[in-house]
Amino acid sequence: MATKKTTNVESAENPRTTRDGTEPCLRTESISKSFRNVQALSDISISMYPGEVIGLVGENGAGKSTLLNILTGILTADEGQLYVHGEPVEFTNPREAAERGVSLVHQEIDVLPNFRGYENLFLGREKDTIGLLNQEEMRNEAQAFVDDLGLDIDVNEFAQNYSFNEHQMLEIAKAFHISRDAENPVILLDEPTSGLEEAGREILFEKIDELRDQATFVFVSHELDEILEITDRIYVLKDGKLNGEFETESTTEEDLQQSMVGRETASDYYRVPDQTPASEFGASALEVDGICYEDEVGPVSFSVERGEIFGIVGVEGSGKQRLGRLLAGALPATDGRIVIDDTEVVPNSPADMVDAGVGYIPKDRKSEGLLLYQSVLKNTSLAMVRDMFGRLPFLNMGAERTATEEMIEELNIKTPGSKALVHGLSGGNQQKVVLGRWLARETPVLVMDNVTRGIDIGAKEEVYRLLRELTDAGISIVLIGDEMPEVIGLSNRIGVMADGTFAGSPVDSSPDNKPAEEELIQRMI
Amino acid sequence: MSGEPTTNTIQQWIETQRSERSRQDWIIDLGPFVMLGSLIVLFTALSDNFLTYGNLVGNVARNSALLLLVALAGTFPILQQSIDLSVAALVSLSAVLTVILISQIGFLAIPAVLIAGMFAGFINGFVFAKLKVPSFLVTLGTLSVLNGVALIITGGSTITFRNPAMRSIATGELIPSVPNLVFWALLIYAATVFLAFRTKFGRYCYALGENESVVELAGAKVDRYKIYPFVLSGLLCAIGGMLLALRISSASPGVGDGLLLPSIAAIVMGGTALTGGVGGPHRTILGVLVIAVLQNGMNLTAVDPFVQEIILGAVVVAAVALSIDRRKIDVVK
Repeated sequence: MATKKTTNVESAENPRTTRDGTEPCLRTESISKSFRNVQALSDISISMYPGEVIGLVGENGAGKSTLLNILTGILTADEGQLYVHGEPVEFTNPREAAERGVSLVHQEIDVLPNFRGYENLFLGREKDTIGLLNQEEMRNEAQAFVDDLGLDIDVNEFAQNYSFNEHQMLEIAKAFHISRDAENPVILLDEPTSGLEEAGREILFEKIDELRDQATFVFVSHELDEILEITDRIYVLKDGKLNGEFETESTTEEDLQQSMVGRETASDYYRVPDQTPASEFGASALEVDGICYEDEVGPVSFSVERGEIFGIVGVEGSGKQRLGRLLAGALPATDGRIVIDDTEVVPNSPADMVDAGVGYIPKDRKSEGLLLYQSVLKNTSLAMVRDMFGRLPFLNMGAERTATEEMIEELNIKTPGSKALVHGLSGGNQQKVVLGRWLARETPVLVMDNVTRGIDIGAKEEVYRLLRELTDAGISIVLIGDEMPEVIGLSNRIGVMADGTFAGSPVDSSPDNKPAEEELIQRMI
Repeated sequence: MSGEPTTNTIQQWIETQRSERSRQDWIIDLGPFVMLGSLIVLFTALSDNFLTYGNLVGNVARNSALLLLVALAGTFPILQQSIDLSVAALVSLSAVLTVILISQIGFLAIPAVLIAGMFAGFINGFVFAKLKVPSFLVTLGTLSVLNGVALIITGGSTITFRNPAMRSIATGELIPSVPNLVFWALLIYAATVFLAFRTKFGRYCYALGENESVVELAGAKVDRYKIYPFVLSGLLCAIGGMLLALRISSASPGVGDGLLLPSIAAIVMGGTALTGGVGGPHRTILGVLVIAVLQNGMNLTAVDPFVQEIILGAVVVAAVALSIDRRKIDVVK
């Protein structure tokens, strides 16, 4: 049933108001919204039916957030109409939307940690007798409610003792609770997996599956594989317009990417043809020999040539992330040696590794990568400051200005200027600033942990192009990643980590010999 | 592009960013100037003596020189998101040490006191950076220790010295009609501004105030740069205590008392947030001037000294409330 259909303007005249005779529980008709001169959404007509899990994808700025905000009454559409079970509605605030059955579970979970589960559930709608809280009643009702939903949470526990998953379940329970009088609520999940590890993701998906006969879920995510795993139908937004509607069953990741970005993808996506061939590698740039961290990581040995991308994959907890931190000097190695450019390094601190020529790009750029409230210039020059005028204490203001301007130009960093705060930049541009920090210092070896995490597809493509350019220039890259296709597509060789060490020797991943994902996964477990 | 509303979304976004930033900075940047301006207008209207060279330089500037030094000392630890609460105690101890050492080793007292101050600062910094004790706790402890040492040295009473040559370091006029005290304070002010903006030390101070692990991963020797601000603080307090002792040819163990609160108030009012990373010594002088003008004006208009205390305290709280860091109200996405 390949009903892949690209909906465009004509959908406005032909909205799918019914499906197999059922009324959609939430429908939008030609919704448009603009901010000043920017058209954020134009002519969006979508329908959601009871029992469905709907995917909503699009690049950053495609209008996903605006659409969610309109659906939940945070924003009001300039044009168009919302229908709940066929009845035209106008929401003026999230509360109203929730009571009619449309609620949003945020990216940042908002649960009060110092409140118990049931207190959170009843927050703002407490049951009281002339001001005295009926705690017992609320507790019992809350426990019965979550039990009914089949959610495994103890409502008498403080929310701070909940796992991330339980927080999320509590949020979902809240959404159900607030809309308990509405028939078939719609629950919008905005990037629900962004804080979750693999196991938590599975639990979430299971719960969504269990609850789908009681509600409709809308799943918003950057991770296309998740979208394909959990949803029935997918809407693609691009530049504020509805660019496609897909039946998940007959859709591939590439279809979605193409619809989101609007250019062809396949293996061109990772620029495999541009991959530096092994014959053009320079001498060995980084040699790791039996490095260990207590009994948790190691011994790990590998070497990376000049111009090579060495991928590292492994499940959560396999030690791949710690290996990255070892290479960054942020974790002290307890045994083994690291040789860079034929010089042995004693990695006692990040400073030692930076001096030796290794730059580390951490997984969480907001907490470890960037000075968010400082300028692009101060962020870009942060690593080069150390070498200015040798041991003298002065800053070379001219050099840092030139280097920053060069990086903005070369990496195509979209910023109002070198003095703008990085906080205001998009994820992709922020990541380019982190990259620029090491390039400004002419760092020969880069260790990257999930370098494209949380950035949109357009920016990912730019990063892939940059990585190819860097290796052309002779820079060596250790690429640690959670996304297997990305690591396979980009790397020359791949080390598979399991239980803190490599499972077998590195796998060849040259352009005409890319390993299959399954092959690596087998080694990971 | 000029004038015409552009259709390029990125260009539009860039322009919004520009306008938002400048509006926000506007308020934070101009706050202390507006405050200072209104106080000057107020006191000029209320007192004929206020707006005279003699009053402004001889009283306002000279009396605030010490506060400026102490506030500058406190600025750097706060910039890197720590705090030095021992400044006032160190001023007292340095003053006492100066008096005692002058009678024994003369001019050599100067380097000796400065080294002692830096050493005290180093201890603060070392315990904070290496032993990972929160700085407010460390310096609260040293505050008590330093006060105790000053009491022991003096036996609790005021001590004096006679040495006109040394006294003139603080009371003379190297530049005609500019009191030396003011001259030294301004010289040190200029030096700290240079440190903040033209040296690696200054850059790392701001960066550490923002996010320590970023700085560490960028390859800086973080521990070292966490200690330096305290050493600098010690040095500046020692200079302050010494000038104070030289000026009045005497010192008592409680001579620096009462400097801590106004100095922190001046720092925060100037725009250095207690959460670190923003502001700097160049702005601290504004806070010092606000407090100095307020005190001087209240004296000239004969406000009851007890009431002055209340007003000063209220101003401090108001200033902190106004300078709340924008990242605290920013919803992190």
